[in-house]
Amino acid sequence: MNKMKEKYFHSVVLDADRCVGCTSCLKVCPTEAIRLKEGKACIIGEKCIDCGECIRICPNHAKNAVTDSKEILKNYKYTIAIPSLVLYGQFRGNVGINEMLTAVKKIGFDEIFEASVGTEIITNVIKNHILRNPEKKRPIINSSCPAALRLIQIRFPELLPNIADIETPVEIAARLAKAEAVRRTGFSMEEIGVIYISPCTARMTSVKHPIGIKKSYIDGVLSMKDVYGMMLRNLGSNTEDLTRSTKESLLWPIIGGQGEPLGIKNYLAVDGIHEVIKILEEIEMDKLEGLEFFEGMACVGGCVGGPLTIENPFIARRRMKTLAKGLPDSNPSDEEIKGQIEMYKSGFIRLTEAIEPKAVMRLDDDICKSIKKMEKIKEMLKDLPGIDCGVCGAPTCKAFAEDIVKGENRNAVCIVKTMKSFNKEKPQS
Amino acid sequence: MEDIKYVFDVKKDDFVRAGETSSKVKKILRELGIDSSIIRKISIAAYEAEMNIVIHSTGGQIVLEITPGVIRITANDRGPGIADVELAMKEGYSTATDRVREMGFGAGMGLPNMKRCSDRLYVTSSEGTGTHIVIEVDLKAGEQGE
Ligand SMILES: Nc1ncnc2c1ncn2[C@@H]1O[C@H](COP(=O)(O)OP(=O)(O)O)[C@@H](O)[C@H]1O
Ligand SMILES: [Mg+2]
Repeated sequence: MNKMKEKYFHSVVLDADRCVGCTSCLKVCPTEAIRLKEGKACIIGEKCIDCGECIRICPNHAKNAVTDSKEILKNYKYTIAIPSLVLYGQFRGNVGINEMLTAVKKIGFDEIFEASVGTEIITNVIKNHILRNPEKKRPIINSSCPAALRLIQIRFPELLPNIADIETPVEIAARLAKAEAVRRTGFSMEEIGVIYISPCTARMTSVKHPIGIKKSYIDGVLSMKDVYGMMLRNLGSNTEDLTRSTKESLLWPIIGGQGEPLGIKNYLAVDGIHEVIKILEEIEMDKLEGLEFFEGMACVGGCVGGPLTIENPFIARRRMKTLAKGLPDSNPSDEEIKGQIEMYKSGFIRLTEAIEPKAVMRLDDDICKSIKKMEKIKEMLKDLPGIDCGVCGAPTCKAFAEDIVKGENRNAVCIVKTMKSFNKEKPQS
Repeated sequence: MEDIKYVFDVKKDDFVRAGETSSKVKKILRELGIDSSIIRKISIAAYEAEMNIVIHSTGGQIVLEITPGVIRITANDRGPGIADVELAMKEGYSTATDRVREMGFGAGMGLPNMKRCSDRLYVTSSEGTGTHIVIEVDLKAGEQGE
């Protein structure tokens, strides 16, 4: 059991006491990774992509994310906070960026490092280097959404070569922050703790089990929900001048914010995991000819819609756009861009490890057995009501049949079918 | 013995549901654990065959058959048939109306794509009867997923 847990670490977990077995999450899960077992919504580890849809929908808050606690700061001699840029949109009223960052620092961090450094680099490298490589498969797909990456691994393996092989803004920021801090403070890598303040469940998983890199430079992840409360108390006094963010970087976590600054016409930005799936289907079938760049974000609105945010995504987006107006334009020099491309080429900010396909949707490793199982499922489906009510614990009648044929969820029964045959047997009166 | 067959109806001019059959085909193949590059080829070919029934015919059927050695898509329709099959096979040849072309179909690449995406393609058709297309892709040993 423990071994299983290790193999498929997920940040999304079930609080069994709160789960009433209502089937809401079963229906929204884009990979059909949830089953009711003994009335509780259990996650199938190998299928979960940590998108957080279940967290968002659960009326009883029974689905949660495992994140670190503030105590983690005690493990380090020097601590650096990297708040997701989405944080800037979380406060109503006229709270400025410096005020927010100062409030984060007062939680107990020695330093604040902005993720905007990372967004600038990604835009520059994709625009001036990756897009100029004619060998790279089109459309180039953003690597910034870890839930979308996991989705591609299990459902669209043919599109893995299209993924831009560059790290995410946070990871790049973490690398630069740590390297700089080592130089400046004299502490070792291990003594310095880089803590990410995250709106995202999938990012949490990626820190523990990275995709495309060997090891993350992020040492801990705090949920933005938790940090929000801590910050509120600190807002308002002795504001430090901490921000170096640009207009472009503030728009980056809003859908379209990655494609737009690339300066190309043929990009497509899509938000919401179910819509992302539809478009990836089209890309896989070569139906979107001429598309250069695809920005797919699992959450509605982009990262501003992350499951660990407090503010409504549309309000947060408005707030960020307003804040962006007061910031300078990004204006990198040729020298800077050249340096960033070198950094990418050296592998420091690049996805150096292959992203492997994961065939979790298949019925069996042996095709002959798969065919037999498929035949059985087809037979069973003729006998099932086809209303996908979820009462049996599977999201659809087909998933119910699949589970039985695969030998999982043996105790599941179809109540609708049982009732129908019961009614038939009843003598007419 | 270990064969499996699915039959899908395809309606004329039904653009709302167009593409649904090839999506279903793709899903089935994925669940069977077929290699993803083969899935891609079959689903592109199936899509083209499906769209040709929607656009050019009066309606028909797509049949998917899977055996351990070969995947076969058969597209049958009720007419009007293709007068000159050889000509229809040419890249860019199309009789699609301007209206259809505006919608992004009718580039004349459907039949050539079916050829490109298959190991064998058989087209039988004549004016007055329907069109009968068989698309086959071999499942070579060692190409069944990783
Ligand atoms: N099922 C069919 N029934 C009748 N005519 C067809 C059918 N399939 C193809 N054709 C004819 O062959 C031509 C070429 O087909 P295709 O290569 O798919 O290009 P397109 O569909 O873009 O026109 C079509 O324009 C049409 O005249
Ligand atoms: Mg066609």
